[in-house]
Order: sequence, then C-alpha cells, then structure tokens
Amino acid sequence: MSQLRATSRAQRRAGVALALLFASAGACAGPPDALDLGAYAGKVVLLDFWASWCLPCKESFPWMQQVHNRYAQQGLVVIAVDVDHDRKPADQFLAQLQPSFPIVFDPHGNLAERFGVNGMPASFYIDRNGRIRYTHTGFHAQERDAAERELTGLLAEATFSTARKP
Amino acid sequence: MQIDAPAVAGRSRMIPRLRLFAVVGAALLLGACGLVGVKPWERDLMAKPEMLLDAAPIDSAMDDHVYFSKEAASGGKGFGGGGCGCN
Amino acid sequence: MQLKPRARRQQLALAALALFGGSAAQAQSDLPATEGNQPAVIDTGFLWYQESNNRITDAEVIVSAHQPLGGDTAWNGRLTIDAVCGGSPIGALPSKSSQSFVTPTATSLNPPVVVTQTTTSASGGGGGLGVNLCTNPVQNQKYIVAPGQLPIDQSFHDQRIALSGGYEAPIGTQSKFSAGAALSHELDFFSTSINGLLSRDFNNRNTTLAAGLNLEADKISPVGGTPVPLSPYGAFEKGGNRNKNLQDALLGVTQVVTRRWITQANVSYEHSSGYQTDPYKIVTQVDALGNDAAGMYLYESRPQTRNRLALFWDNKYAFDNDVLQASYRRTQDSWGVHTDTFEMHYRLSLGDYGYFEPHAREYRQSAADFFRFFLFQTAAQPAYVSADPRLAAFTGQTFGLKYGLALGKDGEFDVRAERYTQRGAGPANPPPGLQGLDLYPGMQAYLLQVGLRFTF
Repeated sequence: MSQLRATSRAQRRAGVALALLFASAGACAGPPDALDLGAYAGKVVLLDFWASWCLPCKESFPWMQQVHNRYAQQGLVVIAVDVDHDRKPADQFLAQLQPSFPIVFDPHGNLAERFGVNGMPASFYIDRNGRIRYTHTGFHAQERDAAERELTGLLAEATFSTARKP
Repeated sequence: MQIDAPAVAGRSRMIPRLRLFAVVGAALLLGACGLVGVKPWERDLMAKPEMLLDAAPIDSAMDDHVYFSKEAASGGKGFGGGGCGCN
Repeated sequence: MQLKPRARRQQLALAALALFGGSAAQAQSDLPATEGNQPAVIDTGFLWYQESNNRITDAEVIVSAHQPLGGDTAWNGRLTIDAVCGGSPIGALPSKSSQSFVTPTATSLNPPVVVTQTTTSASGGGGGLGVNLCTNPVQNQKYIVAPGQLPIDQSFHDQRIALSGGYEAPIGTQSKFSAGAALSHELDFFSTSINGLLSRDFNNRNTTLAAGLNLEADKISPVGGTPVPLSPYGAFEKGGNRNKNLQDALLGVTQVVTRRWITQANVSYEHSSGYQTDPYKIVTQVDALGNDAAGMYLYESRPQTRNRLALFWDNKYAFDNDVLQASYRRTQDSWGVHTDTFEMHYRLSLGDYGYFEPHAREYRQSAADFFRFFLFQTAAQPAYVSADPRLAAFTGQTFGLKYGLALGKDGEFDVRAERYTQRGAGPANPPPGLQGLDLYPGMQAYLLQVGLRFTF
C-alpha cells in the first residue's frame, strides 16, 4: 500500500534543482555519483532508491528489470540509486540480481535527502518534462500492475516545451 | 550473603525507579516528536538480523521457561519494532 | 509442577515476534528475490537442563516456523515438547533427625515401597554435577531423608506438549496487528490462551507504539488430588481439580535513537485469579525450640489473586561488526515479591568463522509476604504460607557463552552453554533446633542448547 500522490511544488522544484545542482558538481560532503537528470529530458525516468539491506528492494529489481525491458524503447529510463554506506554489500546485491539499467551510488544519502526519501525503497516517476509525477514508498507486489499503468501513462504523454515553468 | 526482604513493602524504592522510567519515557517521546531517529536510508545497521530486539527467539523461549520455573517473576519482555523500516 | 509453560508474556512476546518476525525473515535471506516470494524460516532448538545434586533434569525441543503469505502478512507456529524429572524441594526443611515423606499419589504414610533419597548433600552450590537419568519415576512410595538433607521428591516427572500459532497483517501503511492462540498440556496442567497485539509506526518508522493483550485459562489437576490448604500432611485431605485465569496487558514503545542504538521500554500488568498454590509443597512446623515433631507438616496455601506489574527496558547497540545488548526489568506484585533483573549479551563477530556471544544475568528477588522457612506450632496459623524456596529472597547469577556459525547462505547453527546459580540465606535467627542446618541450600543448574535455523 504505497503512497501514490501528486507531487508538491517543492518536489517538482527539487527535480529541476537537482539537475542544475549536479550540472555544477555537488558541494556536499562526499559527493554522490553524478546524476544529471537534464540528460534525460524528453524521457520518462523511474528513479528508485534502494539498499542491499532492504528486502523489498530485492523484490523490486526483477519488476524494474521487466519494465525496463518492456518500455526502454518507448523512452523509459530506470535509474537505481544505492544508499549503502559501503560498496561491498551493494556489489554483492548487484552481482546476484544483475540489472541492466544504470546504478548510481549515493553513500552519504545526499540524493535521498534532496528527493525527500521517507521510506525504503522509494521511487519517483519523472515525466518527459522533468517533473516528479508519482512517488512510491515501499514495494508491494500487488501494486505492480497499477504502477506499470502509471508509467505507460507517462510514456504516452508528449513532451511540452522545456520553457514552461512547473 | 544475607538477603533481607525490605522492611517497607517496596514503595520507598519504587520512586527512583519511576524516575528512571520517566527519563526513558521522555526520551522516547522525543523520538515520537521526530527529535531523535535516523533517516530511512540510514537503517543499514538496524536491518542486520542480529539487531532485532528478539534476535534469538528460541534462546528467549528456553530461558523464559527456565526462569519462570525457578523464580517468582516472569515475562515482561519485549515485542518488536526496529529492523530495516522497509515497506 | 516444577518447569511450567505458563509464559503468558511469552505468548504476548510471541505474538509480537510474529508481528515483527517478518523483518527477521527479511533480513536473513540472501536468496535472489523471486516475484512476491518472501522467505520462510524454520528455527529449532534442543535444550538439556541439569541441576546439580540429582535435582531437576529437563530436555526440551522447540520447532518454530514463520512464513510470509504475501501482502506483508504471515503466519507463524511453534511446537514445544519437554520432559522433566528429578528432585524438586517440597518445602520442608532439613532436620537434625531423619525424616520421611511420601509421593503425591500415596494415600497413607506407609506405602509399600520405601527408598532413600539419594542426594549426597543439602548444599546446591558447587555440589557434584551428577546427570540425573530419571530412573526413579515410580509413584506411591515413601522416601527417607537423612539428617541434614534437604527433602526432595525425586519421583517428580512430567511431560509437556505445547502448540501455538499466530497470524499477522498490516493495517494501512503504518500499523500492524497480530493475533494468536496457544495450547499446552502436561500431566497435571492444561492451559489455553489467546493473544492480540496492535502496533503503529511513527516518525518514518523510527518509533513504534504497541499495545497487546493475552488471556489465559488454566486447569490444574494435581497428581494425587488437590490438598486442602493448610491441612496436615498426614491427613491426606485431597480434593478435585482447580482453575486459574490470567489476563495480561502490555504497552510499549520502541525507538531507533541513532543509526547504531535501538531502545525499547514497556510496561505490562498481569492479573491472575484462581488456584495459585503449589499442591506438592508443604511447610515444616517446629516447637518453640525449633525441633520438628515427626510428621508435623502442613500443606501450603497461597492467595487466590495475584497482580503483577513489570517494567522492562532493553537496548541494542551496533558496533561495526559486534552487537551489545543490555536490559533491565523490574517487577512488583501483590504478594510482596519485588525483582530486579539485569542482563547483557555481547556478540563478538568472527567474520566468516561465526560469532561468540557471552551472556551475563543478575537477578534479585525479595521474599513473598507469606513466605516462611517454617512455622511455630504454637503460633496462630497464618491465612497464607509457603516455604517454597522459589518464593524466598535470593539472587541468581547466570553466565553463558554461545557460538554461532552461518551454514551457507540459508542456515545457521548455534550452541550455547550456561550456568545458573541461585544463592540465598536461611532465616536470620533460627531457633536452636534448626541451628547448624543449611536451611537455604540454593541451586546450581547447567544448560546446554543446540539450535539450527533455515531459511527457505
């Protein structure tokens, strides 16, 4: 029973700000890997926060792999952000699950903080204009179909001019 | 070793203990108000199986049985919470 | 009735464990996730418990299962089988002269079979650890207790089988409930109970509040019948079965304080009413000089109600690889028994070679209001009296060590050994007839447990 809600203004701003922030290189202690969402303008982004110690995250990867396989050609980008403090358990997790979508490492939680992650796992569905449209906290198998419909809905939307403000 | 039952039925020793629990209770209320705690992505250590409050339930069950049989107090122990905080 | 399964709070804890056992299952598994398939856990243990000086021997097996059912729901079940026998103190004091007693099924003071009690000394602290193989379960016999020996009924034996199960499910995203039931059957005792627990998370799951209830009904059918309380030992005034009911309520909070420290505090209250007396225990009566007249014992008598409050505070602290656990429990009840328990475990990780976990526990108990080592014949008879050493003032120390090792990705083996010692003292100023006798010998017990856990 994850929380589906239209995002607030603040979150939409965060999405845009993030792209700008990382375009200019992070100033926080311990920079995360670069995450330039601007590079994905025009695409639908499923941004997921996971950790090796989170079992529902293990369950979510096969599903994310599935939607990646199905919709990458239509413009879906799946990015999985790892918040483990150490790389080793994360590498073990990835060796087991072998995702083919990109992984970003955020060992100090800076990205998680900026997106306002309030549970694990957390995923944000970002539309072709860079706005966060859906937020999911937790992963529940019975909600996979509904989540997939949200993604296909976003994929079906056309891109508007990037000059429009959120 | 001489053990004497308290002359007064425990009330004089109850108050310092009440203070202890009041302090603990206050600390926990702080937690409920969000003043203590960790971010959801910082639950890595809490997620370890050995960090569950009842990480060895068989040991607890065996011990509870022994102490229940040999002592006049029993139970009062815990219930859960903690862990990875997922879902 | 020595080793009894009446762990009402254990039932609550089990319900709660069921509730949060999901995270135990979750955190342990390294299996690649298949869609919607969370791991099941089977947890087993075998315990050998042995008291020194030919006292109690107990063997116990527990098998527990926890299985997620999808949608964050799960069921859990536990089977416990236990066999106990050996000598349990009957409450009568050692004497300067020889004493004789009969087993519970006897109907006179002169049954056909006569044996001699075989403990080598009355002292329970540091006496020899002879393993008791329970070779003397014969009922209806008389046993002779040598001068200075603590009277112990060595014919005591019992078998128990207990089954419990529960179900847990979420309510919304922040709350959970669990419900369960349990049954336990012994030769002279039958218990049924139900329990429920409701919990809610706050503050990004840093705080959890929980409230629970446990209701239990017991039927007691003592071997040889229920003695009339305070009746003379030799009169054999026995009656039928008795009942007892218990209600437990628990309220608690768990708080993740820092990334490394989790703490929990709870308060629980238990009310029990019905037959609380131990039907096998007697009290020695002495004359003014402290000499016991032959056969002058009374059956004990305890109040029909008991109210008990417990406060419990537990902490776990995660170092990079090790874990420290420390807890304190305080109980007080309407029988005047106050207890303090301090407990600590330190898990020392050896990486791939497993872990060691030393354990220490310190327990202190005050005597029940109606506890007496003996009664003066000439004094007015009290309403309630018991000489059961478990209601005396004493301290208990436990030291133990556990070793555990992961078996592949899905299993764990562990073994632990513990020593539990009870120390106390007899009455401060015993009358001349009782001087020079060790009236509170204490007790020493060894535990050895092995366990296996599997994730599927």
